[in-house]
Formats: sequence, structure tokens, C-alpha cells
Amino acid sequence: MTVFIQILLILFHVLVFPGFLFVFVCGLLLAGIDRKILARMQKRVGPPLLQPFYDFFKLMGKETIIPDAANKAVYRIAPIAGLASLVVTMNFIPVFSFSAMSFSADIIVIIYLLTIPAVALIVGGSASGSPFAGVGISREMVTMISYELPLILILLAVAKKAGGAELCFSLSGIVEWQQSTYLGIAHWSLIPAALAMLLVIPAEVGTQPFDTAEAETEICEGPLIEYSGAPLGVFKLNTAIKMFIMTSLFTCLFLGGIDTGIVALNALILFAIDAGLTILCMTFIHAVTARLKIEHLFKFYWTIVSALALISLILVWIGL
Amino acid sequence: MFKKLIAASTAKSPWIYHINTGSCNGCDIELVAVLTPRYDAERFGFKLAGTPRHADIVVVSGPITSQSKARLLRTLEQVPKPFCVVSLGSCPRSGNVFKGSYSVEGPLEKYVHVDVSVAGCTPKPEAVIEGLYTAAQILKEKRKAMAGKKEVAES
Ligand code: SF4
Repeated sequence: MTVFIQILLILFHVLVFPGFLFVFVCGLLLAGIDRKILARMQKRVGPPLLQPFYDFFKLMGKETIIPDAANKAVYRIAPIAGLASLVVTMNFIPVFSFSAMSFSADIIVIIYLLTIPAVALIVGGSASGSPFAGVGISREMVTMISYELPLILILLAVAKKAGGAELCFSLSGIVEWQQSTYLGIAHWSLIPAALAMLLVIPAEVGTQPFDTAEAETEICEGPLIEYSGAPLGVFKLNTAIKMFIMTSLFTCLFLGGIDTGIVALNALILFAIDAGLTILCMTFIHAVTARLKIEHLFKFYWTIVSALALISLILVWIGL
Repeated sequence: MFKKLIAASTAKSPWIYHINTGSCNGCDIELVAVLTPRYDAERFGFKLAGTPRHADIVVVSGPITSQSKARLLRTLEQVPKPFCVVSLGSCPRSGNVFKGSYSVEGPLEKYVHVDVSVAGCTPKPEAVIEGLYTAAQILKEKRKAMAGKKEVAES
């Protein structure tokens, strides 16, 4: 009987909260807020807040064309694999004090899980057999290499600060540490890491100016060029969910100490903070910059952003 | 429930793909003007798509020239159903000032079914928006018809 209830509970976590349904609604809403605020910054009226939902459901109703040159199985599975890994990732990220799955080293798991959506894009793009997709996936790979280094440095810095002598690789451990002391961002040695994280988020999500891999004006959306109908809809959904997950990860690492005790209220606060972070680090940067070339993107992440993360790491390591 | 949702969403999120089949560039500029902050067609969910695979509305501008005819037909074959074809300006309608030229093979109706035709040389941005909006409504009807056909085929 208890086994049965446990299975039901896991299913609930994966499918409803904080799994599929929760990230579906929150992710698409964040994407809607992003588009609306961007439009307002450009003095436009902008699309309705629910526009990403309309886009998603419209794509569900379109015909799916699979090109002759494509590898059919991989072409179909790639978007689903990306979506599945994102849903599992959200299960590891604590909503303040509530966390669906928590192990002693879930940061390591998350580092791996977060690469899967990008890899799914690369695999799906290369399975479609288009030369534009070929250019796109090579750029996507370089983007991945660029933001992965600072991301790992940031996670190491926070883990060291939270754990003291032995590293604390558990996200719920980090949240508990923040609740017992101050918010992560209030420790001044972690401020450079927080700044670096704010710059890692747009590259991970792939918004302008870091959307070199999907540059629709030069290589026609790169890896997505041959996708149509439902698989394209799932890829667009993945991007929206990534927005929510990356901002949630930031909240968990640096603003994790807030707790009201009620899970629903916590989720609401999390969403509000995420919306603020989205506007700050994605919409605002999108509105004021133009797309970077791939070598500039690489240079930017391996010098400035990595340096910020490294400063934090060194400060934490010498005990500040 | 999902069928209704999909049909309603289809009218609200039409992505545009634009083909120039020998136009003088006047209509192309006007189409881009529709997407600028002044006219802001994104209010209705219009978005410029980079590839025909993502398109819902294919906008054709210019008289069909011998060079562009084959490309036009090949592009139209790649658009996933349901989609609409909108002819922009007087050129794809009649040939306009290019009529009678040895290299003009128009009008567009000879090759594809045109859902909405916006006249003018060049059409005003307001007229373009209205034409595209009508096309979005037609798209919804097409989606409904498509869902109906699928049901008949299954039963
Ligand atoms: S209708 Fe007029 S403006 Fe448009 S492409 Fe033809 S000649 Fe140019």
C-alpha cells in the first residue's frame, strides 16, 4: 500500500507539481511576460500575455513534415528527450523549503541534466540533414562550451561557501544554509558569482544577443530549420521552460532563504522573483543589444564572466 | 476541447513567410513597415518566420518571373498544412506595370489558390494588416476543416 502511494506521489511530482504542468504554465507565462515587456520597451503594444500558449497550441495542430534526408526516429525523439530532462531537472530544484527529490549531490546531477536539452537540439538538428542546421549546431556547441565553464565555477563557489570545509553539493542543503544565515546574495564574496550567473542565464536559454546558434536572420533558426508542427512546438516549449528553470536555479542559489511555510505561496513568490529576473537579465539585455558573433560570445564568456566567477571562487576559498 | 483550443490559437498566432518573386521592393518594404513599432502587427501575434517550414501565411509580392516561378512552387510545397497564400500588391494580381514583359509568367492565380489578395501599388500598411488578419481567420476555418477530415478518415 505504501509503495503504491509512493509511486502515486512520484507521478504527481513529475506530472503536476513541480513537474510538467507547473513548468508548462510558468515557463510559457514567463515567455509571454518577456515578449510583452520587450514590446513596451520598444514603444509597441506587443502581443497578448498568452501569446506563447497560442503559438504552442497552433503548432500542435500543424502538419509535421519529416524531410527525406532526416533520420526519422532521432528527429522525433530529440525534442521529447529535451523536455523530459527539463521536467526532471525541475524536480531537483527546491521551491524554497519544498523539494520533490533531493540527494546529497544533486548539483552534479543538475549539471548533467541541464546539458541534455542543448544536446537534444544538436542531435535533432543534425538528424534533420540541412546544411543550415549544420552551421547552427556547430555554433550551439561553442555556446555550450562557453557558458558551461562559468556555470560550474559559480556552483563550486556557492557549494564551498555553504558547506565550509567539505563542499555542500545538495541544493536543499544550500537553501537550509541560507535560511540559517542570510540570503546567498548578502554574502559579499558571492556577489561576483551572482553577476556571472545573471550573464549565464541568457546564454543557456539562448535569447538575444546570445542566440547566435538560432540566428533567424542569417541561418534561418539553425537547428530548427527543418522542424515543423508538434516537434517544433516542443522545442519552443523547451526554450520557455529553460527560462523558468535557470531563473529558479538562480533564486535557489542566491535568494533561497525566503520561506512562508505554505508551498503554494512559496511557488507564487518563486514565480514573481523569476519574472523579475527574466526582465532584468533577458528582456532588458535583449532590448539594448544586437546579436554577437560566435567568437565574440566565446571570448566574452571565457574572459569576463569566467573571471567574475573565479574571483568569487577565490574569495570563498580563502575564507571570506 | 483541444480541437477548439487549437482552432482558436491558429487564428491568433499566424507566422508569416515572405517570398519576393520579382517585386520592385516597394511591397517588401511596406510589409516590413507593418511589423515596426508604428503599426506593430505583433499585437495580433504576427511574426516573421525564417523558413517556410514554420510558416502559416505565405506572402507573395511581385509579378511571377520565369526565374522565380520554379522556386515559388518549390517553396509552397514545403509549407506544412494548413496554410494561406496572400498576394501583396497589384503585381501578383495582374502583372501591373510589368505586364507583357517577356520574362513575366504571372498572375499568381494560375499556379496556386490565393486566399487573400491585397491590391494597391503599394498597399497601405493598414490594408496589409487587414489582409493578413483576414487570412488568419481563413486559416482557422482551414484548420477546422482539416480536423474534421481526420475524424472522417479515422471512423
Ligand atoms: S505592386 Fe507596385 S510596389 Fe508592389 S511590387 Fe508591384 S510595382 Fe512594386
